[in-house]
Amino acid sequence: MSFEKHLNILDYALQTFWRRKLKNVSVIIVFAAVIFLVASFQLTTSSLVKSARKSLARAPEIVVQKMSAGRQESIPLAYNKKMGAIFGIQIIVPRVWGYYFDEINGANYTVIGINPALMPMGRELDIVFEEGGHFPKPGEAALGSGILQSLALEGRQVFSMYRPDLTLKTFRIGGIFDSVTDFLTSDTLITTLEDGRDLFGLDEEKVTDFCVYVRNPNEIETIAKKISTALPDTRVVTRPQIEKTYKMVFSWRSGFASVCILTALTAFIIFAWDKASGLSPEERREIAILKILGWQTADILLMRFWEGLLVSILAFIAGYLGAFIHVVFFSAGFFRPVLVGWSVLIPDLTLVPDVTLSDMLLVLSFSVLPYLAATVIPAWRSSIISPDAAMH
Amino acid sequence: MIARPTHILAGALFILVLGVITLASLTGIKEDRLAGQTKIIDVVVAGLGLTDLCISTEARYTRHPAVSDPVVPFMDYPGSYEHFPTGSFWAPIIYFE
Repeated sequence: MSFEKHLNILDYALQTFWRRKLKNVSVIIVFAAVIFLVASFQLTTSSLVKSARKSLARAPEIVVQKMSAGRQESIPLAYNKKMGAIFGIQIIVPRVWGYYFDEINGANYTVIGINPALMPMGRELDIVFEEGGHFPKPGEAALGSGILQSLALEGRQVFSMYRPDLTLKTFRIGGIFDSVTDFLTSDTLITTLEDGRDLFGLDEEKVTDFCVYVRNPNEIETIAKKISTALPDTRVVTRPQIEKTYKMVFSWRSGFASVCILTALTAFIIFAWDKASGLSPEERREIAILKILGWQTADILLMRFWEGLLVSILAFIAGYLGAFIHVVFFSAGFFRPVLVGWSVLIPDLTLVPDVTLSDMLLVLSFSVLPYLAATVIPAWRSSIISPDAAMH
Repeated sequence: MIARPTHILAGALFILVLGVITLASLTGIKEDRLAGQTKIIDVVVAGLGLTDLCISTEARYTRHPAVSDPVVPFMDYPGSYEHFPTGSFWAPIIYFE
């Protein structure tokens, strides 16, 4: 079949598409909406996974927590000495951290008390604060932008929080985290180790967990196993596990992902069933007229193929582009209520997904291909009937 | 002279390609801006020992999924349900050795 003949058949397919524009545009809109839903989820999760992969590359190499009856509890400082005997550990840093519930506005804050001198890059921490900010001195705290907004200090530099015995602990603001770190620190309050211990009413001999750093990063798993053996009542989380977390958390196994997939599959099955159940009398008459005029079966199939391809590809492009704009330029606004749930502090997210060919082909394969098959098969069945039988 | 439908299609495809290039450029600008902030992000993560993104602040296991157990959503009392809305968006984390 020559190229010119292909173009002529494509011309006819486009004219047929335009003749039934109302019906075709309706199909495209619904089809595109379903693709928008699936593609939006895919792009949102891929951008969160990418964000986690890039930003959490410097997470602690090993985190050691104490477990009791399946729950995390404070870990004795004495465990430091037991771990110190393990060859290959460079430094063990105790941390006091936990959650503070602000009853006035119902927000949860993450409070972290550390000694920055012991942490990697700890001495450079002053650059993460807005101008004039510094790592807190005793009696001071550094706040994320979400906490600053939540406290509504209106220019005041001092605020108070409740200890467990309902006495007040007062902090002076030492710094505000730069807004570029919002997606990590929006709800975070940083203070010294002693102030953190005082706020949570923790014993002098206890901390929340340890950050363990090793000399050779290739030995993280080995040393983690040794720590588990030496301290069997602890839970040891390694950096590779932290990196894997976000791939698992945003996988298709989540409830919301299942809803998106099942909705899309149901919609496509309904489309395909509707198409495959046969052509309308008008479409059958059209095919019969074409056959009388000398069109071959192959030409008719090609024309229907082009028409089906046009509808499905236009829907795919509209849906995928819409999803991309929704995620990148509107920060996945439709999904934010599900992403944040009952959170009172809602950080700003900048989502930039990796658009991979495999992801696009996945969506293409369960949207375009079934629709094409459902379009071409009834056209073939109609085209093999004799024209006068089809006309009647 | 009425344009041939395939020529109109070609024109529409050309405009679409221009649109995609524009979107890609705008996204690239965003990405470049983010790349310029790498140092601050590295320092804040390493210096504070952060393990998680701050996406949801409603529950411990959705605020810090990397250092939570799969049992945490059900720990409120024996037989408790996982009841936070974000629990439907986040899949459970199960590590296999």
